[in-house]
Amino acid sequence: MSLFSNLYSAVAKFFRSQEETEEASKSVATNRLKLVLMQDRTNLTPRILEQMRSELIDLLSRYVELDKELLDLNFEQEGDQVALMLSIPVIRAKDEEEIEAAIKAHQESLSIKSDDNSDENDTSEVSEKDVVISDSEEIEENNDTNVIEEVDNQDIEETTEEAEEAKKADDIAKELQSKPTVIKKKKVSAPEDISNNPFRSENIEAQEKLESTSET
Amino acid sequence: MTGRVIVITSGKGGVGKTTTSANIGTALAKSGYKVVLIDTDLGLRNLDLLLGLENRIVYTIVDVIEERCKLRQALVKDKKNPNLSLLAAAQTRDKTAVNADQLKEICDTLKEENDFVLVDCPAGIEQGFQNAVAGASEAIVVTTPEMSAIRDADRIIGLLATKEEITSTKLLLNRVRPNLIKTNEMMSVDDVVGILEIPLVGIIPEDTGIITSTNKGEPIVNDETALAGKAYRNVAERILGEEVPFLNLDEPKGFMAKIKNAFAKLKAKV
Repeated sequence: MSLFSNLYSAVAKFFRSQEETEEASKSVATNRLKLVLMQDRTNLTPRILEQMRSELIDLLSRYVELDKELLDLNFEQEGDQVALMLSIPVIRAKDEEEIEAAIKAHQESLSIKSDDNSDENDTSEVSEKDVVISDSEEIEENNDTNVIEEVDNQDIEETTEEAEEAKKADDIAKELQSKPTVIKKKKVSAPEDISNNPFRSENIEAQEKLESTSET
Repeated sequence: MTGRVIVITSGKGGVGKTTTSANIGTALAKSGYKVVLIDTDLGLRNLDLLLGLENRIVYTIVDVIEERCKLRQALVKDKKNPNLSLLAAAQTRDKTAVNADQLKEICDTLKEENDFVLVDCPAGIEQGFQNAVAGASEAIVVTTPEMSAIRDADRIIGLLATKEEITSTKLLLNRVRPNLIKTNEMMSVDDVVGILEIPLVGIIPEDTGIITSTNKGEPIVNDETALAGKAYRNVAERILGEEVPFLNLDEPKGFMAKIKNAFAKLKAKV
């Protein structure tokens, strides 16, 4: 009799493990979909996203010591607004001196940069938006057209990439997917008024279509 | 070499065009043929997802047409099979970003260096359809045994008949559920073929494995045990000109399936 029950549990285990793989495939799908939707909604390719990640780390680690490995960056839809959700575990708070030193070091590195490009505006207080923009080549200070130009630049940059980059981007994306969920959540800011983005309405449309036609 | 350009179309959305494209393409590539898959669903691309290539796309078909890159650069190689590559659709543009002549040119160039060019067509009969069909000389019409899908397939077959370049139009019946056909709750294969009156190239059973394969970005033809995978491999062989009998879907699926069934019954009792 015990032989039979052993057999039963062995077989049961076999079938349970099958069910578990199916569940795993669900979470694979959810993660892949989240990443793709994030890219669709924001026009951010994995490569650009990685750039944004590293710039945000640079910025924030001037003020607190962070666990960079566990950084989690997400866009979340909240009603008709998209929120940029960034969560990073804080390892420890920096003291004032360290913060001052880090800011100073950063400003020095900036001033070296702006010496190279003489025309760049020499702001001492740098917001994260400026950091992102200043690296993506000559954007006019005209704020009204910033959003469009940024997107255009991305397109151009994208097209100058080589195929190898795609593989790299794939790796990055995998890494992003495999990131464990993080302890502390902190809402940094809604990115620059996305509702003004001309691509925005189209994105919502596309998303709705995507949801209605679950498979094609 | 001059490869064959086959458009995969349906009229109705959601019947499995993209799944079919991904699977036939993968199956042909596994048999050693060079295959390019073109996603022409601008603005609503999904073929990349089914192949698991969504993060490798750098250039799209629109970049090629607007000359931001060479055609060769825009082809994304499959992860497993170097014979298979994807030309992705642009996600930020719409169907008007491309015209039929441009797509025909791309197909003509690609067929020089490939055995097969499979064009995944968007739903509908508007410009997206016209574009996708432009470079093709053969068509596979995907439908399911449902009234609305069959009606739309009939419309597409009519439209394809007006295209001189299309020399062959075949039917692929997807998501067939033998147990519903048995109880007369679903139209049978014969019913559908009788209505549409074009030769059949494949019968694909409804298979829950499709869901997990989509989740993973891994076409089901790579799963040796899945019935739908087998059915798609058979379609590829028929495209290659072999005579393969259609799967008998009533047949018990094999030793493991029998055990599984028996066990499921046992479990239900306990």
